[in-house]
Amino acid sequence: MIGAAASAAGCARGPRLNVYNWSDYIAPDTIAQFEQETGIYVRYGTYESVQEMLAKVMSGNSGWDVVFPSNAFIQPMRQMGLLAPLRREWLSHLDALDPAFRQPPWDPGLHWSVPYMWGVTGVLYQTGLHPPPLAWRDLWDARMAGKITMLDDEEEVLGACLKMEGYSWNSENPAELRQAQRQAIAQKRLLRAYVNAEVRDQLVAGDVTAAQAWAVTAAQAIQAAAGKLAFAFPAEGFGRYCDNMAILRESRRQQAAHRFIDYLLRPSVSAQIASAAQTATANGAARQLLPPSLRDNPVLYPSEEVLARAEWGAAQSPESQKLRDRLWTEIKSA
Amino acid sequence: MKRLRFLFLAPAAVVLAATLVAPLAIVSVYSFLSRGAYGGVTEPFSLENYARLWDPLYALIFWRSLWIAAVSTAICLILGFPLALFIAAAGRRKTLYLSLVILPFWTSFLIRLYAWIFLLRDTGLINTALQALGMIREPLPMLYNEGAVILGLVYGFLPFMVLPLYATLERLDPSLIEASADLGARPFQTLFRVTLPLCAPGIWAGAILVFVPSLGTYLTSDLLGGSKTILIGNLVQNQFTSARDWPFGAAASLALMIVAAALLLAARPSGERML
Amino acid sequence: MRRSLAVYATGAYAFLHAPLLILAAFSFNTSRFTVWQGFSLRWYAALAHDRELIESAGNSLLIAFVSTACATAMGTLAGYALWKRGAAWISGSLYLSLATPEIVTGVSLLAFFQWMFRYLNLRLGMHTVILAHVGFSLAYVVVVVVARLRSFDPALEEAALDLGATEWEAFRRVTLPHLSPAIAAAAMLAFTVSIDDYVITSLVAGVDSQTLPMTIYALARRGVNPMLNAVSTIVVVLLGLMVLLSERLRRT
Repeated sequence: MIGAAASAAGCARGPRLNVYNWSDYIAPDTIAQFEQETGIYVRYGTYESVQEMLAKVMSGNSGWDVVFPSNAFIQPMRQMGLLAPLRREWLSHLDALDPAFRQPPWDPGLHWSVPYMWGVTGVLYQTGLHPPPLAWRDLWDARMAGKITMLDDEEEVLGACLKMEGYSWNSENPAELRQAQRQAIAQKRLLRAYVNAEVRDQLVAGDVTAAQAWAVTAAQAIQAAAGKLAFAFPAEGFGRYCDNMAILRESRRQQAAHRFIDYLLRPSVSAQIASAAQTATANGAARQLLPPSLRDNPVLYPSEEVLARAEWGAAQSPESQKLRDRLWTEIKSA
Repeated sequence: MKRLRFLFLAPAAVVLAATLVAPLAIVSVYSFLSRGAYGGVTEPFSLENYARLWDPLYALIFWRSLWIAAVSTAICLILGFPLALFIAAAGRRKTLYLSLVILPFWTSFLIRLYAWIFLLRDTGLINTALQALGMIREPLPMLYNEGAVILGLVYGFLPFMVLPLYATLERLDPSLIEASADLGARPFQTLFRVTLPLCAPGIWAGAILVFVPSLGTYLTSDLLGGSKTILIGNLVQNQFTSARDWPFGAAASLALMIVAAALLLAARPSGERML
Repeated sequence: MRRSLAVYATGAYAFLHAPLLILAAFSFNTSRFTVWQGFSLRWYAALAHDRELIESAGNSLLIAFVSTACATAMGTLAGYALWKRGAAWISGSLYLSLATPEIVTGVSLLAFFQWMFRYLNLRLGMHTVILAHVGFSLAYVVVVVVARLRSFDPALEEAALDLGATEWEAFRRVTLPHLSPAIAAAAMLAFTVSIDDYVITSLVAGVDSQTLPMTIYALARRGVNPMLNAVSTIVVVLLGLMVLLSERLRRT
């Protein structure tokens, strides 16, 4: 309550920073501690999807300073001239990052973004199932008819179908995409629904037997329904994403923004966030500080062997996006 | 008279110009442009988006949306009318009862839809209760089908039918009803031949406030319908979000508005103006 | 007849309120999921610490009250003027505002505001949100008020004019009182569409104008969260008490 009054006062003057992030991606104390330490008032806004964030910042004067785009959007945002180049001299904790994330394919020199949290998509299922669904193909199994769900996301559904057919998650080939679409349409009569994170509750309650789900949803569900649920990394391969911290070119608070990013890179802070949000962090030093239940959680941090099957999601060319959307509309209308 | 009328209309006209007319002009322009690489719009101008709409796939989507909206409106009317009647006849507690209708809608619709999922799902409250009472053996499939979408729409739009109905029913002179009874009419006859015609403006208003917005609905079909059917609202929503094809979304939206306007013009009661 | 209506009404109210009661019940659940595990106040405690949530709730209420007041006033006057003599493009605009999908209104408003802001030294903020809300609430108010006016006998106003009243006086003392149930109903509708608007608000809101629906939808994307149940319960209890209080005051 006092915080609300203080924030109202903070609105008026003094140094400030506007941070635009996904919800549930920060620990309860992170912002308050940053404000105490630096005296910078932080306005923390949340968005529901990257497209929503893009629509706001595309104009070039949205008022936000720090945003958290997913990896597939870093290049597009660069091309639209929306991102500010990062100044290494202002980021002292970059080496806290896990080695695997120091030269990410979407930004090898880390000139524009800093990896934050990452995750994968796989199959979340009831442990009672024999044999367990370990591949995307198993979500087409008639045994589970009416109790299967997929994510309500065109990239995820088409990606899974593409992988099942042996193609790339990011394929732009029309023939391959149409094959994938046929699979998706064939699945529809077995499908209960296209649901996102809400499927967690239904799996715990038993309405759904197997679902395409994000690893973070799975980790939460498995923890809540101990022993009843399990997560599989599909044998054919699966998609992977990473949310990154980035600074908008329009921001006139570049130094404060860098300070905030550097603060989030601190192992202790990052560990706090990873515990609260229960996601996989790209910060290797922070991961070491996590309790073993999180640090060694196979759902959040699968082995290298498993990750070798993963493919980073990438931005689609406009023609391919158009085709995919048409295919998705047809799938939904079928 | 003219001056008063001008003064009365001016504030609304200014607001509408800023929030509807100008933005709508922008949308119309968008519909003739092409999609930007990652969202937004760019040149060239073309009729491509409208040409794309001319496709059986989209006709089917339009038809489904119209059908679901029409059914929901009809059910809202049937369910809402007795409730409005009750409130209008409630004497001193009218405003209280009216507020009770709308009070739940001052919380998030999204979360209330989640509550409906909890009620309707196979292991949900209703199925569990019915099974415990021994009335059914297998859970009823009440979720993720068209029926659930209609239920959600009726639930979400009922106040928008009840409130306008109440606004006209409240005016109803009870002596007219008494006169009808005195002349020997049975209650149902009175209902159909006296009450309903007198509150026709309210019915028309309620129908507009339910049918038209429900054409653009997307949340209900996503959550309660399991996102398995695509309606016009979902299509437009997709164009501005995942598909990033604003010009096509603009064109689809304009098409929807034209269809809605045409329907209203065709369906309005004779002798009534548009509004 | 009265008795069967009352029975029916009880059923209808149960239908309308059932989800709300479930929401409230689960706001006291220990578990995060919709599986009852015990009574707890932890979500309410978490609420008290969430600065963003409380601020966004406050913003939503402020926006809803201001835009409802403006929309009801403007809409009543406009509805009356339209009833007297139609104005095609205003009626047409009102219909179009109802028919436009929210995302289209939101995106086009955003584009319009940003175009305008190149010439004015302004940014997106509470003012743009309130303007947008008044814009889309107007149609609801006008439709309800006009419906009521349709059953109003113009002869009453004419009689007042014959007796020497000005047009404004006739409107204020004869028509307006007759309209008061419709105005109350219209205001409630306008408040309703404003307080839970997500799509349009999220697009035209400025950095400092996060509203409750924006916070809720962003959180809900991660899955059901009882903290949202808690905040919804508090908001509805507060508003309900306010309604009761105004009833009391009105009757004295």
